[in-house]
Amino acid sequence: MYPIIKADYLQRTRSYSFLITLAVTIFMAYSFIPDQNANYTTLSASGYKGVYNSAWVGYVSGIMTTVMLTYFGFLLVNSGIKKDIDTEVGLIIATTPISNFKYLLSKQLSNYLVLLTIAGITFCVSIMVFFYRGTGYPFILGNFIFPYLFFAVPALFVVAALAVTAEVFLGKRSILQFIIYFALCGICMGFINSKEGAETAGVFDPFGLSLLTKSVTQHINTHFNEHLTKVSFGFIFSDHKSDKPFIWEGLDWSALFIGSRLLWIAFGFALVYFSSLFFHRFDFKQAAGTKKKIKELFSTAALKPMIKPIGINRTSLPALNFNYGIYPFVKTEFLLLIRQGNQWMWLLNAGLWVAICFVPLQIAYSYLLPILLFLQVTRWSELATKEKSNRVHYFAYAAYKPLQRMLPAQVIAGVILAIGLSLPVIIRCALAGSGDVVFNIINGLTFIVLSAVALGILTGGKKLFEVFFFLLTYAVLNKVPVTDYLGSLPHQRMELLMLNILGINVALAIISLMTRRYQARHL
Amino acid sequence: MALSITNLSKQYNVQKTAVSNLSLHINKGVLGLLGPNGAGKSTLMKMIATISIPSSGTILLEGIDIVQNPNFIRKVLGYLPQDFGVYPNLNAYEFLEYIAAMKGLGGTGLRQRIDLLLEGVNLTADAKRPIGTYSGGMKQRIGIAQALLNDPKVLIFDEPTVGLDPEERMRFRQLIADLAQDSIIILSSHIVSDIESIADEVAIMQEGKLITHAPQYEIIKQAEGKIFEVLLDNNDLNAFKHHYKVIDTARQADKVKTRYISTAQAAAPLSAQVTATLEDAYLLLTQTH
Repeated sequence: MYPIIKADYLQRTRSYSFLITLAVTIFMAYSFIPDQNANYTTLSASGYKGVYNSAWVGYVSGIMTTVMLTYFGFLLVNSGIKKDIDTEVGLIIATTPISNFKYLLSKQLSNYLVLLTIAGITFCVSIMVFFYRGTGYPFILGNFIFPYLFFAVPALFVVAALAVTAEVFLGKRSILQFIIYFALCGICMGFINSKEGAETAGVFDPFGLSLLTKSVTQHINTHFNEHLTKVSFGFIFSDHKSDKPFIWEGLDWSALFIGSRLLWIAFGFALVYFSSLFFHRFDFKQAAGTKKKIKELFSTAALKPMIKPIGINRTSLPALNFNYGIYPFVKTEFLLLIRQGNQWMWLLNAGLWVAICFVPLQIAYSYLLPILLFLQVTRWSELATKEKSNRVHYFAYAAYKPLQRMLPAQVIAGVILAIGLSLPVIIRCALAGSGDVVFNIINGLTFIVLSAVALGILTGGKKLFEVFFFLLTYAVLNKVPVTDYLGSLPHQRMELLMLNILGINVALAIISLMTRRYQARHL
Repeated sequence: MALSITNLSKQYNVQKTAVSNLSLHINKGVLGLLGPNGAGKSTLMKMIATISIPSSGTILLEGIDIVQNPNFIRKVLGYLPQDFGVYPNLNAYEFLEYIAAMKGLGGTGLRQRIDLLLEGVNLTADAKRPIGTYSGGMKQRIGIAQALLNDPKVLIFDEPTVGLDPEERMRFRQLIADLAQDSIIILSSHIVSDIESIADEVAIMQEGKLITHAPQYEIIKQAEGKIFEVLLDNNDLNAFKHHYKVIDTARQADKVKTRYISTAQAAAPLSAQVTATLEDAYLLLTQTH
């Protein structure tokens, strides 16, 4: 199985999008340990903050890597089988003696290797950050290794297995995969501050993080006579400069906890095995689907002449009329956006859209709209990548003035869809007399569409935008001010934020145009 | 209308030269492009189709440099790439409408034009079905229809007969003959018999270079007197291959009818000289060049 895993791993990591992911990872790993004067923290314990000794830096980095990578790592790796379907390599694999279990296990392990590569980089960055932020505490390697070993390594194994399971059972329904997965993650995050006993802390939590939260709260409660019951993870923005410092020396690892990590790894194996029992092995049902449709197909086939090959009489073709406008492009691009993915998603979209009409405006604007927009992630991520992925780029690039006509049409179609989805909020804001808010929303929507186009053109794939949009939505829902692309949070200088986004939009448009211009002549 | 290619080269990197110093003058009619895999045929076609910029050299259409002015040829270009795809969620009609928009076509006649083209490639009954459900041959016919949408004056077909059944291939050849009356058609195929029955002129490429470019009969003439057939015992075939370049074999009872090239040395005993075909000439030129 080693050559399969190796080939799969190399195939995934030899891409621009992976390089960009690594660059983002380094930045994020650096931001896990904020400067003492920063206006955010990543582990918040109501008015207290740990001093930057080995234990604090190592553990915070370890748990942040576990949490963040659990969330966006799934998006990053959940297309291993899909790639084999798209490239039709799956058909070759299906004819080889490899068992379903071995094939899926190789996919799971290569998913795992990709995630471990990223975790390995954050591990190295955390050590560098420790020395960079240096507060004179001694460097203890174990405080860096153990949190990664006991938190990240088992949790990512389960993530890699869940990615395979999701692909087997939900196939192309990627949005449904995301919804179910993030719901599961939400449930697991609920364990972090659970009230279970100290002996069993973290055992039933795949992240294992409640062990750490218990230790930190107990430490503060004992030394400062407090009654804290929970700590929070994530990028938490508020003034933390006046927090009281405390020295925390790390965890004592119990055999029970370590054993539970092994059980979670075994659970990952079990998931893969269970999935292998239902794996399609690239043998898909015919498109006809229902018996009724099959019957219809057979009846039409019977009516058709068996052989009536190509025979075009050119003299009967009507005269040509030329129309170099972009309207027909916009129409088709919009049609493709609407038809992308499963049609049932429109039921969910419609439900959210109606809800946005009636819930309080601030909830609609700050929560429901970003969620509704994120649900379209797979539509927008295909905007500028579908030519290549469907091998239509030969036609597209050889078309008349593709840059001046096709690329703008793609952006316009994307923005029209975004505005259509945001219409209830836009109308409600307009009726409330907030013209500037309407501008902010349209500016933000354009930012999303242009990000999808630019990242798609730059990387040639959809993943980077999907991960970026996920992280952005996550940050928006957690009210991180700098990520407020729709302008739903109060800002001291809202106009500055919007001008920044407008500037980014212009830059994204220029990057897209220049890169596509190069690509169109260098096939 | 004429297409003039002068000293054209495409170098991907220091080691990889796809097309090397190629010059070719193409008039109305069908130019068949032959060559082994990796000879540079598809790269040459991509450069003419303006989706790949040459490293050096010029391509002129009616005296206009299409490397500098790609939109000049794009208005009159029909291009069927070797490994093209489709949007699986669109039906045939919608897909052709989309390609028509790319080509800048519109107006009231477009719908009728698409209808007639779909009828011509026998896809009318399936026109409302998503193309994702089509067979390989049906997709190839959609590819042919899109190439003809704008009544092109320059047609580039890269392996156009892949996936077509024998009768469809025959009809396709008739279509090409019709189009060749007022268009430049450049057609590459691994099936030499397709080229033989369609092409007025043939260009053979190897390792990025043009070996020969001439009317078909002149190329075949180069193989005249060098092609022989002989009946061999099964056991003698391998030894025979050490001495002669075998083109083809056919089982006949306990013997093997062997077609081979004999250039420098004398033909084998009991051999009969046969009329050369384009395939014989192609193999002779690519093996001995």
